[in-house]
Amino acid sequence: MKRRDFLKAGSAGLAGTILGGTGLISWTPRAHAATISKTFYITDGFITQPDGVSVYFRGFSSSSNGLNAPGEHMIVQEGDTVRITVINTLGTSHSFVIDGMVDSGRISGGQSRTIQFTAGAPGSYLYYDGRNAPYNRLTGLHGGFAVMPQGSSNQVYSGSPTFVQQYFWVFNECDPAWNNAVRNRQTPSGRYTPRYFTINGLSGRPPGAPGAMDPAIDSMADPRTKLDGHLGDRTLIRCLNAGLAKHSVHTHGNHMEWLTSNGQVRPAVWEKDIVPLDGNGGGADVIYPFDPVPDAWPPMTNTTLRQAENEGRHSAYPMHLHDEMTQTAGGGSYMFGAMTDIYFHSR
Amino acid sequence: MFNLLKNKPMMGRRRSSMGGGGMDGGGGGGGGGGDMGNACYVYPIRPAEVPALDPNPDVVFSRGVDMNIPLTMDDGNVVTMWGFSDTANGGGMDGMGGGATFPSAAMRVTEGQVAHTNLQVGMMMYHTIHHHGIEPDYRSDGVGHLSWDVNGSYTYQWRPTQAGTYFYHCHTNTVLHAEMGMYGALIVDPPEGIGTLFSGGPNYDVEVFWVVDEIDSSWHTLPWTAGTCGGDVGLNDLNPDYFVITGVDGSGNSAMNAPAISATVQRGQKLLARYICAGYHPQRLRLGGLTGTIYASDGRPLPVPVQVTEINAVSAERYDIIFEPTRTGTYLIETDIIHWITGEVLGTTRTRITVT
Repeated sequence: MKRRDFLKAGSAGLAGTILGGTGLISWTPRAHAATISKTFYITDGFITQPDGVSVYFRGFSSSSNGLNAPGEHMIVQEGDTVRITVINTLGTSHSFVIDGMVDSGRISGGQSRTIQFTAGAPGSYLYYDGRNAPYNRLTGLHGGFAVMPQGSSNQVYSGSPTFVQQYFWVFNECDPAWNNAVRNRQTPSGRYTPRYFTINGLSGRPPGAPGAMDPAIDSMADPRTKLDGHLGDRTLIRCLNAGLAKHSVHTHGNHMEWLTSNGQVRPAVWEKDIVPLDGNGGGADVIYPFDPVPDAWPPMTNTTLRQAENEGRHSAYPMHLHDEMTQTAGGGSYMFGAMTDIYFHSR
Repeated sequence: MFNLLKNKPMMGRRRSSMGGGGMDGGGGGGGGGGDMGNACYVYPIRPAEVPALDPNPDVVFSRGVDMNIPLTMDDGNVVTMWGFSDTANGGGMDGMGGGATFPSAAMRVTEGQVAHTNLQVGMMMYHTIHHHGIEPDYRSDGVGHLSWDVNGSYTYQWRPTQAGTYFYHCHTNTVLHAEMGMYGALIVDPPEGIGTLFSGGPNYDVEVFWVVDEIDSSWHTLPWTAGTCGGDVGLNDLNPDYFVITGVDGSGNSAMNAPAISATVQRGQKLLARYICAGYHPQRLRLGGLTGTIYASDGRPLPVPVQVTEINAVSAERYDIIFEPTRTGTYLIETDIIHWITGEVLGTTRTRITVT
């Protein structure tokens, strides 16, 4: 059993198709489908939680000696040929599944497999290990997978409201007793009581806390997670839930435009400050418009934002889950849970 | 600027933890809501950053803090709630002052008005007011880690631009403080006034408030600082034993004839129900055979109103539902509180609409 410290998601990947270290995902549409290749290493290790507890995780990692939990998020284009090589470095069997698109079947311990499939309907998906469900997925074997409409750089689906940048918020929670059972190749038993709550694998560190503003551990500083936008920078967020708990995604500053729920385009776009996110693979696509916050007095303008910046002030708002148990770590420690911040910038 | 009032070593934990202890700070122990000196990660006001206030606000709300609101349940047990007192209307002026209700006094304001909310917090305690769904300057948003928590007096300034149903709540150690009851309704009326949901939206004749919440009474002996310095105080695991609607035990008959919760309407009248999911677990509101029309949610009109016989909601969602009943009768309005993981129905609140 390998025991490694958590390694931050690397920036390696295929140009334009795999997320790098930045959350501001650029996407260049192509007139023709391409073949996109990616190798994942199934690895394991321990991740230190905010209260110092070391918890066992597995991940679809970007290198054989790293641990990415979740794995790097991917963006492809409708019609692309996607070639995924999974190298299972562990002794247990795993799989690579995207619902409605691909299921690798069993990949035994020490084995590798390359699977090839065509990227299907545009939208947001979770890739995950479907074996030993839901335990393998909960221990970190999952990641975000987006299919862009053919030839589009700014739509979630053909005809959708448009955006200029996109992020993934992949939520998970963990009960260390369950993760430990998986480590010991046992079926978790007992009541599932999650104690740690993450967004893109990280949890919050409020100002002054050890690790605060360290993008490797603080979800409020992680560029994959925190939102940065100028006024009018309409931002797509692909919310996906690898965990079991149903959540309430809450943004301050702006309401979200709620486009999809569990892969289905909603009949009408509602403006919401709360969007529900089902457990067990639920999803919601939302656009955070970065409009001037509507209820400020005096009103927010580009000028007031610039003035704040000149004075060294951040016009920032939180995103947090409103099922507030998720804002804790180890049974206390408010603000060490699944949250991030949203920064408004002047042009 | 950090780790204020941190002056005690690690104290006993209410529940066993998994071990470890990387948190910099003391424990969350201590007794009673008045525990004074044991908080971490609360952030005092930075005076140089406080914005100038409009000298001529259209409306001013004054709120204090009451950490000892007895709430008598149907079984006779009394659960201590916390809340905001209305200090302009006889409520206490600080944490020891009393005078608050559960839920806290509603705020009601007209779209476009400049509003001030003055919060006064007693010594050695921190709280905030976040006007949920209202989106003001960050210094009026009531989020400590991005602005400050309040000790003493602070005035939030905001001007609502969209009529609808909102609520306000404390955003300091929110997981505990909101569960303890530190919230109240916040209604923004359109310029047309009470009786119109929003400009261009439906009118209504009768208005009720369904603010549905769950209470885990085992949390209600914790101090305001609980868990902020680390340690396991059980705030990851909410196991409610009481279920309330707009401050009334809803599990029996107490809310069946409660003013502004239950209602009697005549055929031809329009009833507006402002439903706020004030708990943390998901809820399912069942309309007892009535069909309602959702015109707005989270303070925003829906592009196309939706007819419903039940509504699934998650924490802090609001739905504005108009009923135009055509048949006389008594209709049971039930809200199931559903475990966020298992989907088990943990409890149900009940009230009713009588149509004459």
